[in-house]
Amino acid sequence: MNGPTRRLALVIFGGFGLLLIASSWFQVLGADRYRADPRNVRNTITLIEKERGLIVAADGTVLARSDPVPDTPQTYARTYPEGPLFAHTVGYSTFLVGDSGIEAAFGDDLRSRQDLTISDLLSALFGRDLRPQNVQTTLQPRIQAAAFEALGNQRGAIVALDPRSGAVLGYVTTPSFDPNSLLGDDAVAVRQGLLDDPDQPLLDRAGQALYAPGSTFKTIVAAAAVETGVAGPETAFDDVLAFDLPGSDADIANSNNGFCGNGTTVTLQLAFVRSCNTVFADLAIRVGARPIEAIAEPLGFNRELAFPWSLAISAFPTDELAEDPAALGQSGLGERDVRATPLVMAMVAAAVANEGEVMRPRIIDQVFDANGSTVETFTPERTGMAMSSATAAVIAQMMERTVTEGTATRAAVPGVRVAGKTGTAQGPDGPEAWFIGFAPVDNPVIAIAVLVEDGGAAGESGTGGSVAAPIAAEVIATWLAGL
Amino acid sequence: MTRNVEAGLIVGAAALAAFGTTLVNFSSDGAVDAQVSLTFLIVAIAFGGFHFAVRRFAPDASTVLIPPAALVTMFGLVEIYRINPVRAGLQRWWLLIAAAGGVLTLAWLHRSGTDALRRYRNITLAGAVVLMLTPLLPSNWSFPVRGLTVNGSRLWIEIDLGVTTLNFQPGELAKVAFVVFLAGYLADRRVALIEARRRIGPLAIPEPRQLIPLIAVWGATLGVMVGQRDLGASLLLFAVFVAMLYAATGQSGYLTGGIVLTIVGAVGAWRTFDHVQRRVTAWINPLSDFEDAGFQVAQGMFGLGTGSLSGSGPGLGRPDLIPNAITDFIFAAVGEEFGFAGTVAVLAAYALMVAAGFGISLRARDRFRKLLAVGLTLTFGIQTFLIIGGVLRVVPLTGITLPFMSYGGSSLVGNFVLLALLLRVSHEEAET
Repeated sequence: MNGPTRRLALVIFGGFGLLLIASSWFQVLGADRYRADPRNVRNTITLIEKERGLIVAADGTVLARSDPVPDTPQTYARTYPEGPLFAHTVGYSTFLVGDSGIEAAFGDDLRSRQDLTISDLLSALFGRDLRPQNVQTTLQPRIQAAAFEALGNQRGAIVALDPRSGAVLGYVTTPSFDPNSLLGDDAVAVRQGLLDDPDQPLLDRAGQALYAPGSTFKTIVAAAAVETGVAGPETAFDDVLAFDLPGSDADIANSNNGFCGNGTTVTLQLAFVRSCNTVFADLAIRVGARPIEAIAEPLGFNRELAFPWSLAISAFPTDELAEDPAALGQSGLGERDVRATPLVMAMVAAAVANEGEVMRPRIIDQVFDANGSTVETFTPERTGMAMSSATAAVIAQMMERTVTEGTATRAAVPGVRVAGKTGTAQGPDGPEAWFIGFAPVDNPVIAIAVLVEDGGAAGESGTGGSVAAPIAAEVIATWLAGL
Repeated sequence: MTRNVEAGLIVGAAALAAFGTTLVNFSSDGAVDAQVSLTFLIVAIAFGGFHFAVRRFAPDASTVLIPPAALVTMFGLVEIYRINPVRAGLQRWWLLIAAAGGVLTLAWLHRSGTDALRRYRNITLAGAVVLMLTPLLPSNWSFPVRGLTVNGSRLWIEIDLGVTTLNFQPGELAKVAFVVFLAGYLADRRVALIEARRRIGPLAIPEPRQLIPLIAVWGATLGVMVGQRDLGASLLLFAVFVAMLYAATGQSGYLTGGIVLTIVGAVGAWRTFDHVQRRVTAWINPLSDFEDAGFQVAQGMFGLGTGSLSGSGPGLGRPDLIPNAITDFIFAAVGEEFGFAGTVAVLAAYALMVAAGFGISLRARDRFRKLLAVGLTLTFGIQTFLIIGGVLRVVPLTGITLPFMSYGGSSLVGNFVLLALLLRVSHEEAET
C-alpha cells in the first residue's frame, strides 16, 4: 500500500518545486522589476533611513541632524534646520540626487557604522562605538547670517577667515537653495529646476567659481615689489594719464581717466590707496612675473588647496606672462587671464593680517563621537610664507590707509581699524565688485573677501568700493560687536 | 547520522540564531546586548532538551527531523527579533513551552506507545472537535477560558491565568488530533472503504454509507471556514483528509471527489464571501489593488525582489513594511534579509523534513503507524506549501502559520507535538 503514499510524496515535492520556481522568479529572474517598482518605498528609504551624525557650527548650532521618523522604528529623516544659509558648506545627503559638501566629504564619519563591513565588525569587537560620529565646523552662524543678509538678492560670495588659525568663519554664496527641498520624492525635479535656474543657485561661488580679481590683485603685486626691493611705499612713479604697454599699441589708463596724484609723480602708497592702474601696470612689469608668482603661489594660486571638496584653481599664468610684458602689465591689475576664487582672495587678506604666514583654510574643527568625545581634531596648520612680516606690515599699513582715505572708505567701521583693498574687474556680464580686507589692524580676528557679480544691485555703475566694501563693513561690524 | 551529529547540528542552529541576533543588533544600535546569549541558550535548551527526550524515550527514531526544524526555527527567531523585539521575547518563552510539550508527548508515548492513540481515536476526535469549538466560547464571561476575535477570525482563545492571559489557537492542536483520529479510523475501516463499491456506469464509487464521513468532514471544514473565517485551516484539513483517504485506500476516486468538492467549496466561498474575493484579487494581480487588498502580497513581492540573491543582511532590509511580517509573511521577511540563499535554505529544510516523514511512513509495517506518519507529514507539508505558496503567489494567500517559523505559541506547540509523534512512530518502526 505504499504506492499512493509515494504518489502523494511526489505531489508534495512537485508543490515544493513550484515554490522554488516562484522563489527564483521573485528573487532572481524578476527581482529587478519588483525592486524598482515605484511603489516599493524601500528604494527611497534605504539610505536616508539610517541615523547620520550631527553637523554643528562653531557655536554648537545644529546645521544637520537626523530625526526619528514617528511610528517607524530605527528610521531617521535628515533635516537641515538652517536651510539655505549653509547649503553650500554643509551640503546635503539624499538618496535621489546624491550628496555634497561636508555631508559628502565626511560621509564616512557621519554614517551609521551598522552596515557591517568586516572592519566595522572587528573594531566593534574591540569596543568601538558603531553609532554615527558628528562633525563640528568652524563656521560662525552670526557671520553666515550677516553675510547672507548683506548680499541680499545680489549674486555673489563672501568668505571670512580667522587670519591666525585659518578657520573658515563664514562661507556664503548667493543665491542659495534649501537643501531640505532635495530630500523628498520630487528631488530629481527640484534639482533640475535649480540647474536650469539662470542664477545658478547650486554653484559654490565662494570656492568653485573663478573671477578676475581686479585691483584686489594689486595687493600681491605691491607685496612682490616690496619683498624684492623693486619699490617701497615711498618710491615715486611718474604720474601719467596713460601707461603705454611695451611692445603693444594698447595703453592703460586709470579708472577715472585722469591723473593718479598731482600729475607729476605719485608714491606707490598713494597709487595703492587710490588704486591707480598706470602705476601698477608699470610696477608689475618692473617686478616680473616670477616674483609675483612667488607671493601668489603660497596664497593659493596655481595649486590645489586641500579642502573638504574640490575647489577651482586660481590662476596666474606665470610662464606666458614672463615672455609678454604687455600682458603682465594688464595682469598686474588682476585682469586678462588672472583668475581667483573669493576663498583665495580671503587668504590673501588673511596672510597680510597674519604677518605673511599662510594658514591652511580649514572648515572642519573636529569630529566627535556619540558621547561627545573628540575623535579627531583639525589643528591650525601653517602652509608657508607668502611674504616677510616686514612686507606684510607695509602692505597692511597701505590697506588701512585705503580704508581711511582711499577707494575703500565705505568699508570703515566706527571705532575699528579696518584694512582693505577694493577691486572692480571686467566680468563677462558686467563689473565684478570686490573687496578684501581684515580687522582690527593691530589684532586681526577676521579676514574677508567679498565678491558681487555684475555690480550687484548697482549694475554697470557698481564698483568694489560702492558695492562690496559696505557689505564687508557690515559683516566685520557684526562679528566684532559680538566678540 | 548519529544522535551526536544531531546534537552538534542543534548547537550549530543555536549558534546561527545568536549570530543572526548579533547582526540585527549591530544594524539597529551598534551594541551587542544580552539578547544574543539568551537566543543561543533558548534554542539550545529547547531543541537540546527535545533531543535528550528523544534519546531517552525514542532512541531509535530518525535523526533527520530535528536539525532542519531547529534551522527554520532559527530563521524565524532572528526575523521576529528583527521586526518586533518584544514579540521575540514572547516567542522564546513559547519555544520553551512548546519543546516541553514535545518532551511530554514523547514521555507519554514511551509509556503507552502509539497503539494507545489508535485505541482512543474517538476520544481524540471528540477532543479535536471540542478544541475547534472553544474559540466560539463567549468572549465576555467570567470563566477563565474565553473566545477571542483576531483580525476578524474567531480562532483564538484567551486563557486567564490570573497573573497574565495567554492567547492560544486551539486549531493548531486540533489539527494533530484530527490526523491521529483519521489514521486510526482509516486503518480500521480500510477494507470497507475499498471493497464495498457500487458501479454507476463506468464509475466505481464506494457505498454511500462509506461516503458519509467524506461529506461530513467536508461540511465541517466548510463550517470552520464560515463560522471562524479561517480559509487556510479548512483547506488544510480537507486536503489532509482527502490525501489520507487516498493513502489508505489507493482509490483515486477519493482524490477526484476531493478535488471536485474543493473546487465547489472554493467557488462557493468566492461567490459568497467578500474577504475571499479580496484574497483572490490579491493573488491574481496584487498590484492592481495595491492600496487595499493587494498591499500585503505586493509588499511581500517588493521585499523578496529587493532581497534578491543574497539579501540585505539581517536588520538591514525593511520586512517591517510588510503587514503581518512575523506571522503569515515570515518567509518574505527571510527572503528580503537573507535573499534567495535564505529562502532556498528554508525550502530545503522543509523538504528534508517532509522527505523524512514520508520515509518513516513508507518503511512502517503497521498500517496505523503508516497512516499516522503520512498524515502528520501531509499536514506539515501541505501547511508549509499553502503559506509559502500564498506568499509566492502559487496559491491564494491563506492565513495559516509557517511551521516553526511564524510567530505564535500555539503553532509551535502543535508542531512540536507533531514532531514528537512522528519521531515516536519512527522509533517504533525502526528496523533494529
